[in-house]
Amino acid sequence: MSALVDAGLLADVQKFGAADVSACYSCGNCTAICPLSDNDGTFPRRLIRYAQVGMKDALLGSKELWTCYHCGECSDTCPTQADPGGFMAAARRYAIANYDRTHLARTMYTSPVAGSVIAILLAACFALFMYASHGAQSTTSLNLFGFIPEPLIHNTGVVVMILVFLAGLAGVIGMARGISRREGISVHDVVGSRAALARSGRALWSALAVESLGQLRFRTDCESVQAEQPWYRRRWFIHASTMWGFLGLLTATILDYGLALVGIKATGTPVPIWYPVRLLGTVAGLFLLYGTSMLILDRLRKANRAASDSTASDWTLLVLLWITGLTGFLIEIALYLPSPPAWGYWVFLFHVSVAMELVLLAPFMKFAHAVYRPVALFFYALAGDKANAAR
Amino acid sequence: MNSEETTVAGQRSPEERRIGVYVCHCGGNISDYVDVKRVVEAVKDEPGVVVARDTIFACADATQQNMEEDIAQYGLDGLVVASCSPKLHTVTFRGVARRAGMNPYQYTQVNIREQDSWAHTDDPDGATHLAISLVKGGIARTRLTTPLEPLVVETTQKALVIGGGITGLRAAIGLADVGLEVFLVEKERELGGWVGRFGTMYPHDRSGHDLIAQLVAEVKRRANITVFTNAELMAKSGSFGNYVAAIRVNSDLPELIHVEVGSVVVATGFDTYQPEVGEYGYGIDGVVTLPEFKALIDASSGPLVYHGRPVKTIAYIYCVGSRQPGANEYCSRYCCAATAHAALQVSGLDRGVHQYHLYRDIRTYGKYELMYTDSRKHGSVYMKFPDDSPPAVARTESGTLIVTTRDTLTGGEELQIPADLVVLVTGMVPRKNDELMDLLKLPVGTDGFFNEIHPKLRPVETVVDGVLIAGACQGPKNSTESVASGLAAVTQSAAILKKGFAELDPLVATVDAAKCTWCEKCIDACPYSAIEKAEVAGRTVAAISPSICKGCGGCVPVCPEDAIDLRGYTDAQIRAVIDSMLEEPVA
Repeated sequence: MSALVDAGLLADVQKFGAADVSACYSCGNCTAICPLSDNDGTFPRRLIRYAQVGMKDALLGSKELWTCYHCGECSDTCPTQADPGGFMAAARRYAIANYDRTHLARTMYTSPVAGSVIAILLAACFALFMYASHGAQSTTSLNLFGFIPEPLIHNTGVVVMILVFLAGLAGVIGMARGISRREGISVHDVVGSRAALARSGRALWSALAVESLGQLRFRTDCESVQAEQPWYRRRWFIHASTMWGFLGLLTATILDYGLALVGIKATGTPVPIWYPVRLLGTVAGLFLLYGTSMLILDRLRKANRAASDSTASDWTLLVLLWITGLTGFLIEIALYLPSPPAWGYWVFLFHVSVAMELVLLAPFMKFAHAVYRPVALFFYALAGDKANAAR
Repeated sequence: MNSEETTVAGQRSPEERRIGVYVCHCGGNISDYVDVKRVVEAVKDEPGVVVARDTIFACADATQQNMEEDIAQYGLDGLVVASCSPKLHTVTFRGVARRAGMNPYQYTQVNIREQDSWAHTDDPDGATHLAISLVKGGIARTRLTTPLEPLVVETTQKALVIGGGITGLRAAIGLADVGLEVFLVEKERELGGWVGRFGTMYPHDRSGHDLIAQLVAEVKRRANITVFTNAELMAKSGSFGNYVAAIRVNSDLPELIHVEVGSVVVATGFDTYQPEVGEYGYGIDGVVTLPEFKALIDASSGPLVYHGRPVKTIAYIYCVGSRQPGANEYCSRYCCAATAHAALQVSGLDRGVHQYHLYRDIRTYGKYELMYTDSRKHGSVYMKFPDDSPPAVARTESGTLIVTTRDTLTGGEELQIPADLVVLVTGMVPRKNDELMDLLKLPVGTDGFFNEIHPKLRPVETVVDGVLIAGACQGPKNSTESVASGLAAVTQSAAILKKGFAELDPLVATVDAAKCTWCEKCIDACPYSAIEKAEVAGRTVAAISPSICKGCGGCVPVCPEDAIDLRGYTDAQIRAVIDSMLEEPVA
C-alpha cells in the first residue's frame, strides 16, 4: 500500500514548534545517541524524515513518537542544530491536535491568545454556573456545600467526566488504529487467542505498570544528562511527584465519594487531619504542589532541554494544576481555622471551577499524554515481545 | 632501397655502430623475476655494443646523467634502454640522447616490465631468457637506425571556430586577442547557442542572454573576427598548419567561401536528451523536460502557471537519459546543479511551492553544493530512490498527476506524490554531426562525444594535428567548464601557430616511387587521407603528405609492391628484430 504524501505536513507540524528541523539532513546522529532508540523502534531521525517527506499517517501512527522523554541528548549532538528533541515534542503536540476532532487542541496550541482566552473564559463560566445556584455562607462553620450544593458539583463533574471520556476515547481509538495499521497488528493479534491475550497482558503490564507508573526507562535510561542533580531535582522525580500526587488526590476523591455511598461518612462531614482519606489527600496534594512548582520553576529557568521551549498550552496545564493544588490546601487551612473565614468560600468556588476546567480540557492539551503515552507504550512492548519471540 | 637504408654521410655500418645498452631493475619490479645481471652478460658482446650496464632506476636523474657521460665518453651513436613501456619513458630517453648530442631517433626502448617481468612472475628463468631475446631485438633495430629530423611546417596565422555558442564565442575572442585572424561559423541564424536562450544561470545568477550579448559585443569590437551565421563547413583540405576550409553561407544566394587556417576549434555543443513518449510519463500533460521547465520559469515573473493551472507542487525526476545501463552510461554533470538552481529560482517566484527532488545520486560538486544546501533551506525535499525501483508517473482518472516513488531514508516505503508539474531532469547527448565528423576525421568515443587525445595531458587536442575540440561536444560540461576548455583551445592554437612554424614527428610513411605502380590500395587503407596521386619522372605514383600522415602504418602491409616503408619502423629494422629474437632460444 502506498501512502499519499501531504506536502504541507512539515509546515503544519512547525506551527507546534520545531522551528529548526528543516536543517535536518538525516545523518542519524540523533538516533545513534538516543538512549531509547533501539531495534524495536528507531527515532528521532526517521520521524523527522516522515515530516519532511509528508508521510502524515506514518508520523501519527508511530509508537516511537511517545516513547521519547525529551532528554535532549539528540539536540545537543545534532550537527545542524535541527533540535530533534524539540521536533519530537512538537510532533506530539501535533498528534494531540490531530487525534482531537474538535480543533480545540489545535487552537490552544497554535494560538496563545485564543488559548489563554479560552482558559480564562471556561473557568469563569464554571464559576458563574456554580455561583448561580449558591446558598448561604455560614459563619458558624465552613459549610462549603451549603454555599455550592454538593449534588451540583457532583453532577457537573459526572457530565464533564463523560465528555472527557468520549473525547479521550475517540482520540485513543484513532491513535490505536493508526499505530496498528502501521505495525500490521489486527484485533485478532491482540485478543484473538490465549497466546495473544497473554502477550497483550504482558504488554499492558509493561506499558502501564513498569513504564507509565514506574517510569523505568525514564529513570534508568534518560537521566544521564542530569547526573549531577540530586534525586529530588531530577526530571523523573518531579514528574513522578506530580503524577502520583494527582493520582493520590483522584483516589482520595473517589474514596471520599465511596465512603458516602456505603454510608460510612457523608461528603463534607468534618474529619480530623489524621483521617486516612484526608491524610492521603493531604500527602498527595503536597507531592502535586511540589511537582508542579518545580515544573514551573524549571520552565521559567529553562533548566533543561524539555523545559526550554514552552508553549502557552504547556503553561496552561501547569498553572491549572498548580492552582488546583494550592487552592485545595487553602481550603484545608480554612477548614481547620477556629473561626471560618469568608475567603474560604470564594477559594472553594475558584478551586471547583479550575478543577472542572482542568478535567474538561485534559484531552485537548498536554494532559492527554497521560492516555496516549501508555497506548503507544503498549504497542511498543507488543513489538518488542514479537521481536524477542522471533529472536 | 628506401631512404632509411641508404648510407648517411658519417653513419657507421651496422656492425661498427657504437651502442650503449642499459638494463633496468626498476627497483625490483623487473629484477625480482628477471636476472638483470645475466641479461647484461648475454648482450654485452653483441655486434655494435660498446657499453652494457644494469641500473636500479634508469629513469632516475643521476642515471640519466651517467648515460649522457657514457654517450660522450664512448662516442655512442645508438642507445637501448630495457625497462618499462615505451608509453612511459620514450620521451625521457630521447631527451637523454638529445642532451648528449645523439640523434634522439637512434634510441630504442625495450619493454621488459609490462611485457616480461610482470607477466611471468612464476617463471624467472623463462622471463630472463625472454628479456635477453627482447634486448637483442632492440639492439638489432638500433644497429639499423638513422638520424631523423623533425618535419618543419610553416603555419597560417588564422583559426577557424565551428560553433557560435558560449564556448565558440569566448574562444574566438581569445584567438583574436592573441593576434590570430578568426573565422567563426555558426549553423543557426543567431549566435549564442543554448546559453543565449537561458534566463538566470548558476552560480552567479546572471542571465545567459546577457552573457551572450556581452560576448557578441566583444566579438563585434574585434576587426580580426569574421562571423558567418547560417553557415556550415563543407570541406577541409590541406595539411596541418595550412588547412583550407570551405564554408557555405545559406542565404538567398548561397555562396561558398574558402579560407586558409592554421587551426580549427570545434565547439559544436550538445543536444538535450529527448525522452520517449511514455518514459517517466513524458507525453502526459504536465510532464516536461528540464529545458522546457527552464523556459517556463525564465518567462515567469510571479507564481508559476502551467497551461492555465497554478503550480504548487513540483516533482523533479533526476538522471533521465543519463547513467542508463546500456544507453547513455555517463553522468551529464550539469543537471543536478541546474535543477537545484531552478528550484531556488522557483522559490524566489513563489515561496509556497512544494518541491520534491527524486534522485539517484546528487552531484552538485564543488561550489554548487551550496546551491543544494540553499535549496533545502528553501524547503526542497530530496528523496533518493533505489536504482531498481525508479519513479513512475501517471495521471489518475480524477485528473491528478501522481508520481509513485520510494524514499530510501524512510525505509523505501512506496509513496505517492500528487504533483502539478513533473520535471524530467534530462541530460546531455552528443549532437548528430556525422558530416562534420567525416569531414574533420574527428574521433568519436563509444558515448558519441568527440574524443581528446588524453583527458589530463592533452585535453583539447585530437589525433588530427591542429584540430582542437572544446565545450560540450567533448562530453557533458557546464558553461563554466566549456568556456575553460574553449580557452585551452585558444592556448593550444597559439602554441602551434604563433611561432610561425611547427615541428612534426618524422616517423611517417614514405613511398619508393620506383616501385609504386599506383594501384590505389594504400588510399583506402589511409584513415587520414594523407595519400594523393603524384607524377614522378613521368610515372603516376602515390605521394604521402608527411604533415598529414600520422605514422599509423596502415598502408605498409597492403602495398603489393612493398613500396611503402615507415620511418623508424622500417621493414629492414623489424626483420632484424625478429631474426635476432629467434636466435635466442626461449625456455
